[in-house]
Amino acid sequence: MKRLILALAPLLLVVTAFHARAQLTIEITQGIDNPTAIAVVPFAWQGPGTAPEDVALVVDADLARSGQFAPVERSAMLGRPSNQSEIFYRDWRAIQSEYLLIGRVVAQGADMRVEYELYDVNRQQQVHSGNVTGPANEARMLAHRVADAVYEKLTGIPGAFATRLLYVSVTRNPGGKDYYRLTLADSDGARPIVLLESREPVLAPGWSPDGTQISYVSFETGRPAIYRQNLATGAREQLTNFKGLNGAPAWSPDGNTMAMVLSKDGSPDIYLMNLRTKQLTRVTRHYAIDTEPTWMPDGRSLLFTSDRGGRPQIYRYDLRTGTTERVTFEGSYNARARVAQDGRNVVLVHQQSGRFHIAILDLVTNRLQVLTSTQLDESPSIAPNGSMVLYATKHAGRGILAAVSVDGGVKFRLPSRDGDVREPAWSPYMSR
Amino acid sequence: MSKLLVASGLVLVTGPLCFMAQAQDYIDLEAERGEQTAPAAPTSTPSSVGQRDPYGVQPAQAYPATSYGVNNAPSAGPAAPASSPRAPAASSGGQNLGTIYLQMQQLQQEVMRLNGMVEEQANELRKLKSQSLERYVDLDKRLSAVGAGGAAPASNGGNASPVVAAPVAGPGAAAGGKGAELPGEADAYRSAYSLVRGQQFDQAVDAFRQFLRDYPDGRYAANAHYWLGELYLVIAPPDLESSRQSFTLLLSQYPDNPKAPDAMYKLGKVQFLKGNREKSREYLERVVSEYGSTNSSAVQLSRDFLQENF
Repeated sequence: MKRLILALAPLLLVVTAFHARAQLTIEITQGIDNPTAIAVVPFAWQGPGTAPEDVALVVDADLARSGQFAPVERSAMLGRPSNQSEIFYRDWRAIQSEYLLIGRVVAQGADMRVEYELYDVNRQQQVHSGNVTGPANEARMLAHRVADAVYEKLTGIPGAFATRLLYVSVTRNPGGKDYYRLTLADSDGARPIVLLESREPVLAPGWSPDGTQISYVSFETGRPAIYRQNLATGAREQLTNFKGLNGAPAWSPDGNTMAMVLSKDGSPDIYLMNLRTKQLTRVTRHYAIDTEPTWMPDGRSLLFTSDRGGRPQIYRYDLRTGTTERVTFEGSYNARARVAQDGRNVVLVHQQSGRFHIAILDLVTNRLQVLTSTQLDESPSIAPNGSMVLYATKHAGRGILAAVSVDGGVKFRLPSRDGDVREPAWSPYMSR
Repeated sequence: MSKLLVASGLVLVTGPLCFMAQAQDYIDLEAERGEQTAPAAPTSTPSSVGQRDPYGVQPAQAYPATSYGVNNAPSAGPAAPASSPRAPAASSGGQNLGTIYLQMQQLQQEVMRLNGMVEEQANELRKLKSQSLERYVDLDKRLSAVGAGGAAPASNGGNASPVVAAPVAGPGAAAGGKGAELPGEADAYRSAYSLVRGQQFDQAVDAFRQFLRDYPDGRYAANAHYWLGELYLVIAPPDLESSRQSFTLLLSQYPDNPKAPDAMYKLGKVQFLKGNREKSREYLERVVSEYGSTNSSAVQLSRDFLQENF
């Protein structure tokens, strides 16, 4: 087991006063056996003064976090090339690096351009080259996009580093009310921004399919209500204010409809709200608890949790035929499903010998695999490229976020420095 | 979130029930207080409290007359008789409603439990159906690969060659008898085999058993054991133990027979079906280690099975 602690550099771009508290750090607890060695050479800065961000360091950390790469230590590098002409392959063979990434960061007014090239050390040839441009204050995001490209080139799977996370952190306030903060951060936990702070619970954050809006449940009025919020403008809209439960909002893949749980007509049932007309359609009608709806990527059916069979299990509701069928049969507790973009892998909370684990269910073979060895795991959220699952768990008596690859091979934790962190929601690919 | 939501849902569902139970408690308590204070007012007679109190002495202890009865005596005295006749009526009405509500809850839970059982059994049926189809397809594939009258399973191709494990030092080896074709044996084998092709599995079982009684050491005896092992798996209900015995017999008496790897693979599957995962894995791994160098398809099948199930 590899144990590597990456303390992320404190950021200068402090947006809120709560920034430092909400910062997450990453501890890799388990990687794959033979990670690919790659040397990410510090990128050359071509602009006035010093570089505002160490882009190569961010790329390095992204690749390391995936568990599939073992970046070479900078101190071991025998040279710092930033152009092809400066590369001496024997230097990199000597330190057994299989790949080499070099690049340059060019200042262009308020913008920044990152040019990079990837080389195969053994074959001594260029594998990939590219460039990304964006605002200089989004340097980290540009770095994540470079990491995405490198990851895709070497693994064949698109990277998901240039994505963001939503989570709720709770600061216990002895003698007073707790603080709930809905926080938005980069996929590596950096640059946290508090979107909503409340002394009442904030729950179930989720994303619109284009990544421009978020939804959540807030008790700020004293009872649960569903809100949606535009990330760019900050504009907020209260969608529901019904008697009883208003919960678990889930955007449809086309972004026009929101599935939600309401108990206004008795027991909790699944409803659909047309986001333009605000018209409600009732989906389930059962005295059992129907909750936690989530959409299949084709938008034709919903998965939800129900105890209509005596124990919580996942069911699938077909929106065209109106039929409901049970999906999970293994174990006495399966809940809170989230579907990968391939429409085949479903991550869920599965109870095994009294402990709650994250498991992955293959809808084609119906095979269920438990991914985590932690307990009290909840709220799984799958990366848009389907490679990693982020979930909430307990570690050392504190609520933290942890991640596991869909094959269970790579694991890391994102503990918060302060307070409990829960309910992560991994964004879709962000529109650029 | 999941547990929280479910939990809040549960609270929601059980909420009214709690409310009712509480309401009932309140009414009962009032009645008790009425009963307690009424006799306590004139002379404070604990014996009568004990008699009239349906809940035993608990309430009397909870509200000792010294602090409660004495203080309230002047005012509560006249009020108590008025409230006590109403209280039992309200109490029994609440009890009826509460009972009905409880029964409905119980019914709902029962229906949900049954619902779950139906779902699970339907799923088991689905699984069994697809398994039996799989088995049938497997068998059919082997059959269609075997030429008419061919003896060997498909995994070895249409092997009707006379190369049979003749020199076997098995305990039951009748010296010289084994491997020689006896008169009428081929016909008997072919007719039994045609039953397999005709999918008359039960009759085929009988035919092969008869065949083995008639020609226990014949040239096709090993084949017959193999087919019996296969057939025991496809008859309804499958006879796993007999199947295991047939394959085991084949392995122990004809270890050099071309079908030995297939029999070993099948034993792995039979043990798996019997739930003996360890034994199953043992057989499957033996197929791979002992026959890995041959071109027997049982090796690949074992590898696949191991990968899928272990």
